[in-house]
Amino acid sequence: MHLVNKLSSSGSSRPFPVPSREPSSVEKIVEIDEHIGCAMSGLIADACTLVEHARVETQNHRFSYGEPMTVESTTQALCDLALRFGEGDEESMANTDFLLNNCASRLWFPLVCCGLRKGMGVSRPFGVSLLIAGHDENGPSLYYMDPSGTFWQCGAKAIGSGSEGADSSLQEQYGKDLTLQETETIPLSILKQVMEEKVTPNNVDIAKVSPNYHLYSPSEAEAVIARL
Amino acid sequence: MTKQQANWSPYDFNGGTCVAVAGADYCVIAADTRMSTGYNILTRDYSKICKLADKSFLASSGFQADVRALQKHLEARHLIYQHQHNKQMSCPAMAQLLSNTLYYKRFFPYYAFNVLGGLDNEGKGCVFTYDAVGSYEKVGYSSQGSGAKLIMPFLDNQLKAPSPLLLPARDAVTPLSEPEAIDLVKTAFASATERDIYTVSVNGDKLEIVVLNSEGMRREYMDLRKD
Repeated sequence: MHLVNKLSSSGSSRPFPVPSREPSSVEKIVEIDEHIGCAMSGLIADACTLVEHARVETQNHRFSYGEPMTVESTTQALCDLALRFGEGDEESMANTDFLLNNCASRLWFPLVCCGLRKGMGVSRPFGVSLLIAGHDENGPSLYYMDPSGTFWQCGAKAIGSGSEGADSSLQEQYGKDLTLQETETIPLSILKQVMEEKVTPNNVDIAKVSPNYHLYSPSEAEAVIARL
Repeated sequence: MTKQQANWSPYDFNGGTCVAVAGADYCVIAADTRMSTGYNILTRDYSKICKLADKSFLASSGFQADVRALQKHLEARHLIYQHQHNKQMSCPAMAQLLSNTLYYKRFFPYYAFNVLGGLDNEGKGCVFTYDAVGSYEKVGYSSQGSGAKLIMPFLDNQLKAPSPLLLPARDAVTPLSEPEAIDLVKTAFASATERDIYTVSVNGDKLEIVVLNSEGMRREYMDLRKD
């Protein structure tokens, strides 16, 4: 499970090619809104809860304000969820009532998803790190979020099992003035270094946000792999 | 047994008229300053124009208690937005928020007839006009309130763009310059004053005009007919 993300494109690998496993069922890069994508590493089920929450938040924002949500605000909305675990010590329902009545139920649905109903708490943190990449009025941006709920803005980042090596390779190769082609091949070549098996269109996912989210089809991925 | 009828109404009508006109790089928002109830004047000096954001001004006529509550609600929401997103709300975003806020009370409406005026993210003037339950439209000019039926036909005559059914879609902002637009608004109110008792300005009643452009905001007052 290696994930490498550079401003505007990201690559992730699928784990251990077990012959009986269907590779296309492993989805580690997903769309949050048409201008924001997300790559995940860790407990994928937890990541799906977070992604669902982000999707709801971004659509609520579009409904309320008629505009796309900025990438930083989306990341912040996810980080707001991270520390809400423990036994029944959630924020009081009085707070959520104000939000309920005035923000058109924007928080209620995801809170219920997380089991945060009166008296019932989530028992553990989300065991997942996310890379949130998107394009808004401030240009393209990339944010890294960890289970503590802290987020950093990055130009390039790697997460997952090979991330230490990948991160240091990224440091060397990243620059703010890379072309789109380079941001495609650099993460993929770093993935190649840290992956045990050979890189093929079936065991990596590549996606870009420029300015809309797009997950590469196998043939497009093939084209990038050929350039390595 | 006949059905019991209410012997009071939660609403009152405080009169007044609001107008807004959008230009290429400015927006003019105007409203009279009279507040009345029935045939009585409550005050001659009441502002119906409220600043919601740096580039969004709301002018509302109708029931001023509901108008004030609506203004407070929107101001609070704007503050929350600034805290969460680290920026001011754009006028189109405020327009959507106002629409949602009004519709939220679809079954006990805010008795407020609104015109939202401001500059969009590119600095172009924009005007949004509403009904009491949040149906809204981006337009080049609009008026609401007791004098609207007198002012709107005049504005249509002076400012109406070619039919919106023509393609390509033409923007409705007026090509008039800022001083010309202000003059037009003053003329419109002077006419409405002649015939609408709720929009008259007697000794002291005024017309309040807010002009928003790239340099910022300024507020002018003009005396209307004194009777």
